[in-house]
Amino acid sequence: MRDRLFITTMLVPSMVLLILFYGYPIFDNLRISFTDLSLLGMKKGGNWVGLENYRELFRSGEFGHILFNTFIWLTATSVVLRLLIGLAIALLLNTRALGKLRLAAVSRFALLIPWATPPIVAVVIWRFLLERNGFVNEALIGLGLISQPIAFLADIRTVWPSIVVIMLWNTVPLIALSLLSSLQTVPEEYYEAAELDGATDWQTFRFVTLPFLMPAILVLGLMSVFWSFNNFVYVWLATGAGPGTFTNVLATEVYLKAFVDFRLGYSSAIGMVMAVVMGAFGILYLRLVAQRQLEETL
Amino acid sequence: MARAASRHWRDPGAWQLVVMLLLAVLTLFVLVYPAIYVLVGSFRPGGGLLSSTETLTFRNYFRIFEAGFGRFIFNSLVICMVATVVSTVLSIMAAYAFSRFQFRFKRTLFTAILFGQVFPWIVLINPLFVAFATLNLINSYVGMILTYTAFTVPFSVYMLVGYLVTVPKSLDEAAIIDGASRWQVIWFIICPVMLPGFVATATYAFLLCWTEYLFALAFLTQTELKTLPLGLYQYFGDDYVDWGAVMAASVVTTLPVFLLFLPIQGRISPGRIAGAVK
Repeated sequence: MRDRLFITTMLVPSMVLLILFYGYPIFDNLRISFTDLSLLGMKKGGNWVGLENYRELFRSGEFGHILFNTFIWLTATSVVLRLLIGLAIALLLNTRALGKLRLAAVSRFALLIPWATPPIVAVVIWRFLLERNGFVNEALIGLGLISQPIAFLADIRTVWPSIVVIMLWNTVPLIALSLLSSLQTVPEEYYEAAELDGATDWQTFRFVTLPFLMPAILVLGLMSVFWSFNNFVYVWLATGAGPGTFTNVLATEVYLKAFVDFRLGYSSAIGMVMAVVMGAFGILYLRLVAQRQLEETL
Repeated sequence: MARAASRHWRDPGAWQLVVMLLLAVLTLFVLVYPAIYVLVGSFRPGGGLLSSTETLTFRNYFRIFEAGFGRFIFNSLVICMVATVVSTVLSIMAAYAFSRFQFRFKRTLFTAILFGQVFPWIVLINPLFVAFATLNLINSYVGMILTYTAFTVPFSVYMLVGYLVTVPKSLDEAAIIDGASRWQVIWFIICPVMLPGFVATATYAFLLCWTEYLFALAFLTQTELKTLPLGLYQYFGDDYVDWGAVMAASVVTTLPVFLLFLPIQGRISPGRIAGAVK
């Protein structure tokens, strides 16, 4: 009995906080999405408009473009490249030849630098490098690859790849380090057996290494989807959703509609679309990650 | 580290080795050079873009502090430190209950904690803004502290439960038989044993707050209350960027992050952090 009172006392403060900051807002967001609430008229409140915001959202020509940006560029491209490059770096650092040269240890330290760099600063760094007369342009001109400097973040042909590069620089190290630590748990005997059987390098990778890494790749990929899909800072700070609204994604659209156009109701409807998509991924998260974390920790 | 070098690839031939070396050097360069470029740029007039002079100077740093950058640091320190302390205390309490007792809804509550780590925060901006506006919490330390506390609790609880389950329950029970209360057990037994873990968790929570941009952008509009990340981006004008100031401000923002992050990064294994990075 005393234990029960103690447990309640210990849990209530954090749980109340979570209800106030996660539970209540998500329901209130749903309510706001059915109104025409304006940021400028919050005192008088909004009028109930039913599904009007959703109707407008799905009919607007811009919405398809925003979905494309969010799913294809911000999420799919960045997640796939992050995993591929992370895996490549992990494999490279795990090779015996580089280990002998002590290069692997240096590289591990090097990986910590972009990882520890806050996203807000990573964007600053790359905006500077990608300037018209910045390092990247100078290097490309110096190598004779281009003759005129490119305005990377203002040109619609280069702006998305540039944003993806910023995200990758900042987040690949975490993936690489995670996969590297998984790689080091592959039992040596497996490789010896593969060698005895005369497996080629590719076969060894395909049938020994990859199956071992698959669980880690799945989890990191899924987490990556969450970080990318919901991310606001990379696009907002790199381009402000521009040029024009060319790189607008769901997260920046929520902010723009609420705090630039003052349409809280409409903005909340976009938020609900995001919440529904993330809810679907949430089920995967529960199956693949949360359940395992639950077994491991409790 | 002997195992680190696996037999994944058989001893490569000379040209393979050269390719691998080149790749490794290229990777190193791409990882490290951008950060160094900015660090050096912060000591150059104009950030080194108009590289007419090669002289190094502290002028950019003097300039931003004369223009009031210290105020942003102060705001960030107050908000982040209070939020970190509150969040860590609440999280230790919750984590202790999760790690020591069986109770109804335990799995449900812990699942909720895990979901908190992948929650789309952007969706909370509107309802929280509406609530904060009614409660006069826009442009207030209290509002930001509450937000950042809530923002870090899920991750901290998860981390701390992971640490606490490694401490045997028999330790607590022995003390309780000796007449100690649960609170005394936490304070005199768990805290000293788990101090490194608590410090690592608190440090990481602090770093999350220190670099948080979205909530600060939405909830802080008065210049004198703005936090460091907002201060950093004020140097980006519509058509002019004060690169010298931006570089210096970036270094000032990042330096504490490196100093705090490097000592704890071993404790916060990539697998664990995977749940916390957004």
